[in-house]
Amino acid sequence: MKYSQIFLVLAMGLLGAGCSNIERSRDLANPQVSATTLVQQVCSLCHGIDGNSVSPIFPRLAGQSPDYIVAQLGNFRSHQRSDPPGYEYMWGLTRNITDEQIKGLAEYFSSQKPIANAAVDARQMAAGKVIFDNGVPEKEAAPCMACHGPTAQGMATFPRLAGQHQDYLVKQLHVFQETEGRPGTPMKQITHLLSDEEMEAVASYLQAFPSSP
Amino acid sequence: MQTQASRMHTFHVSLAALVLLLFSMFMTLLPQNAQALPTFARQTGQNCVACHAGGQFPELTPYGRLFKLTGYTIGARTQPFAVMGVVTSSSIAKPPVDYVKGAEPIFATGSVFIAGKITDNIGAFSQFTYDPYAVPNDDGSFSGHSQADNIDIRFADHIVSDKNDWIFGVSLNNHPTLTDPWNTVAAWTQYVPSASLSSSQFIDANAPFPDIPWDDNVAGLNAYVFWNQTIYADIGLYHTADKAFSFLSTGISTPTQLQGSNPYYRLAFSHEWGPHNLMIGTTGMVAKVYDDPTDTSDPATVSQYNSQGFDAQYQYLLNPHTVTAQLAYMKSDHSYSQATNPGVSDTDTKTRAKLTYTYQAKYGGSVSAFDWTGTTNGQSNPATSGMTYEAFFIPKQNVRVGVQYTTYNTFEGASTNYDGAGRNASDNNSMFLYVWFAY
Repeated sequence: MKYSQIFLVLAMGLLGAGCSNIERSRDLANPQVSATTLVQQVCSLCHGIDGNSVSPIFPRLAGQSPDYIVAQLGNFRSHQRSDPPGYEYMWGLTRNITDEQIKGLAEYFSSQKPIANAAVDARQMAAGKVIFDNGVPEKEAAPCMACHGPTAQGMATFPRLAGQHQDYLVKQLHVFQETEGRPGTPMKQITHLLSDEEMEAVASYLQAFPSSP
Repeated sequence: MQTQASRMHTFHVSLAALVLLLFSMFMTLLPQNAQALPTFARQTGQNCVACHAGGQFPELTPYGRLFKLTGYTIGARTQPFAVMGVVTSSSIAKPPVDYVKGAEPIFATGSVFIAGKITDNIGAFSQFTYDPYAVPNDDGSFSGHSQADNIDIRFADHIVSDKNDWIFGVSLNNHPTLTDPWNTVAAWTQYVPSASLSSSQFIDANAPFPDIPWDDNVAGLNAYVFWNQTIYADIGLYHTADKAFSFLSTGISTPTQLQGSNPYYRLAFSHEWGPHNLMIGTTGMVAKVYDDPTDTSDPATVSQYNSQGFDAQYQYLLNPHTVTAQLAYMKSDHSYSQATNPGVSDTDTKTRAKLTYTYQAKYGGSVSAFDWTGTTNGQSNPATSGMTYEAFFIPKQNVRVGVQYTTYNTFEGASTNYDGAGRNASDNNSMFLYVWFAY
């Protein structure tokens, strides 16, 4: 058999095999692709298959509140959330996904088990704990735990913060403080009351949250 | 006091800089539109920075590497066309006689891409490039020429279980190492823009890259696997791009003729921790190449090249900082054909190290060192070494403006009087301005 014939047979076979592969599809515009498949084929490349991302560019999603995930994916899709990572990475990925797929993604990641994140400087962590538990009373800044829960586990659309990457948290706090990229949350007011050092400290405490996972 | 020649030289450099500046300003003022980008960005809807480290194409991020290895199939199928162009201006400390376009801005190359998702498992990256100065004419003018540049058509699959993550596939492609997702291999270290170039007399230098020395458009079929995003292996066989595969050498009148199947391998270890990632790898290829691509009748005219490379790359990716350190080394043994130089062989080693920093995916700079040494059994002394310094600006994600300065310690075997006519290596020190854009 000549090379050309081998090539043609191979090409036809591959095309035939490749036209439909719904169980392992990376098609972000096909509503038939299940949420689990989307996680395996797309989301996991940055967020990890168990939602415990390695790079602090990408937030950890394991154990995240499902309501929060649904809300954020909706905000990416509608372009209501426009912080740089939001529009650079997520606007495109969410532009065609369905409500049903979003619900499935939320169920998947919220049911994953968070694993402990890297340790941080003990002194910074101690300062962060004070802010998390008590806020900053002299600035009338409320404690984080009031909305995010005593173990930073998240409540409804208030996200889980325990074990989240410090760098991601600090960047998001600055988005709240300095931009209109994430409208409609109380964080705008709260972050105006916090200094850079206080944000660093509380984010460091949350990354290595004692009770996490 | 400036001579008239030096004043003209200064004028030309200033004019080139002005044109490049105006062009970059024009590009900057184009409306921002996330959809108005090359085809992969349209397909995923993502910004270039998602796949390209610090926004500097073509260097890939970990996610960009996975996008490539999964066959360019993430996203939604879209129209597959994109274009790229490079406008350059280069000047040399002491221009050689044939250096016609010194310090003049030229449209150096233009490319058309046909790329993207085809099915759930099949995708393609194909680039066809036009060189306006490909053929010098007798009257001093030039004729342009287009040809197949990089072509990579893949079938890929990705199987995920609790313990294992397998990405695997096959690629039909036209250059050894083109399939690789790291940018320290031969096909991707020497990407545009570059101050090197033996193919254009307007961009001086021959600043060496660790390449596969005979590399030209051929036909390769590769199979690869990436296990747990840790171990990567790729094996391929390369043939002459003829018959059904002749589209891989479109536009080349006398494509390289290989004898039989020529094996290629690639092994790499990759690890990611926090914002860091590291790759250490090796490549190798044995190729039997006919000396004369128009005559394959005599096996005695076949030369053999054994190339063995080692490379490493470290990336730190955490906004606003992107740091990349790259090291590439290639040793190639060239056994001359029985017809030309029986029993004689030469060994060339090429090494390149590069450190790049990008801030906010907008402002960047790099410094690289290169070194080429070789034996002189059947060739003249190729020893060439030096440094390239670069500063660049990315005003929009699909535009890059840069300036490179390359200095030579040695050139073609010596620091001074390397050509026997009094020319020194440092006479080739070159300034290279470029504007690179894609749409």
